[in-house]
Amino acid sequence: MNKEFVVKWKSQVKKGTLSFIVLNTIGKNELYGYELIEIIKETTKIEIAEGTLYPLLNRLKKEELVSSKWVNQESGIPRKYYLLTKEGVTTLEEMTDYWKGLELSIKKITNHGI
Amino acid sequence: MEFKEIQFIDSNAQRVYRNYIQSIKNATKQLYAEDALEILMEFNSHLYESVQIKNSKSEIDNLLNAIDKLGAPEEVLKPLVADKMLDRATRSFKPTDIFKALFLNIGNGISYIIFGILYFFIGIFTLCIFLKIFLENRSGMFYSADIFFIGYTDDQNLLINEVLGNWFIPVMLLLNIALYFILTMALKLKRSINIKYKK
Repeated sequence: MNKEFVVKWKSQVKKGTLSFIVLNTIGKNELYGYELIEIIKETTKIEIAEGTLYPLLNRLKKEELVSSKWVNQESGIPRKYYLLTKEGVTTLEEMTDYWKGLELSIKKITNHGI
Repeated sequence: MEFKEIQFIDSNAQRVYRNYIQSIKNATKQLYAEDALEILMEFNSHLYESVQIKNSKSEIDNLLNAIDKLGAPEEVLKPLVADKMLDRATRSFKPTDIFKALFLNIGNGISYIIFGILYFFIGIFTLCIFLKIFLENRSGMFYSADIFFIGYTDDQNLLINEVLGNWFIPVMLLLNIALYFILTMALKLKRSINIKYKK
């Protein structure tokens, strides 16, 4: 097995699906950055570096797919929660449809060969 | 919203934390105060949540781990600061902001280099205005069948081709204002296209 090739491929898949994973996770609940990383790690075993997540959240915000709000905490250090915008919801639906189609195609290929 | 410093029991952790916070402040000092505060507070919130974990590691280990994962502010915040600075420049119309924004975005595409060159022309035209003030008879806009240039000359044959005379300064001023306005609006449009269609 070409381990190096597989490692690179996994990294590319991860990179390509990161925004889909983040939008899906925020779509279920309003979350703050730290919580978002922890939930993604728990549910997908994918570790997102903080240095990757925050620029990504900022990009999603610029593209008006997510919005944010500050929520005060007892500690005095507020949390910044992210949530999907209306455009974010419809974009995620479109992405989910595409993903399902892709999943089906991949299953056909992996089950029966080309 | 106000920034609140995290308190650590370990004085070394407090020192490391303060240094990191200072690095964030340095990396964002060119931005509007509210943008810089927003970034600072989000990083601070992340650090706070990270050190709250109950594990066997010491306070400073958890903090260093969180800082390592966040990365150096001057690197991690580079694209965000460059974009926010562009936003600031196209809102304030201040030449210093535009200069800083173009400098920060120079690596983000050839279009910013072209914008830089076009803004440089405004500087050249301004210089021509000063030349006209101090060397009135030897500078201006020279035009004939085979030459056209704006600037300074000692050539007596060319001096007769100066076409604007006393109108040179008002014309150049207007040209500069128009060019500055058009370029800055184009920069604003370029930024909104970037956001909509992703570079």
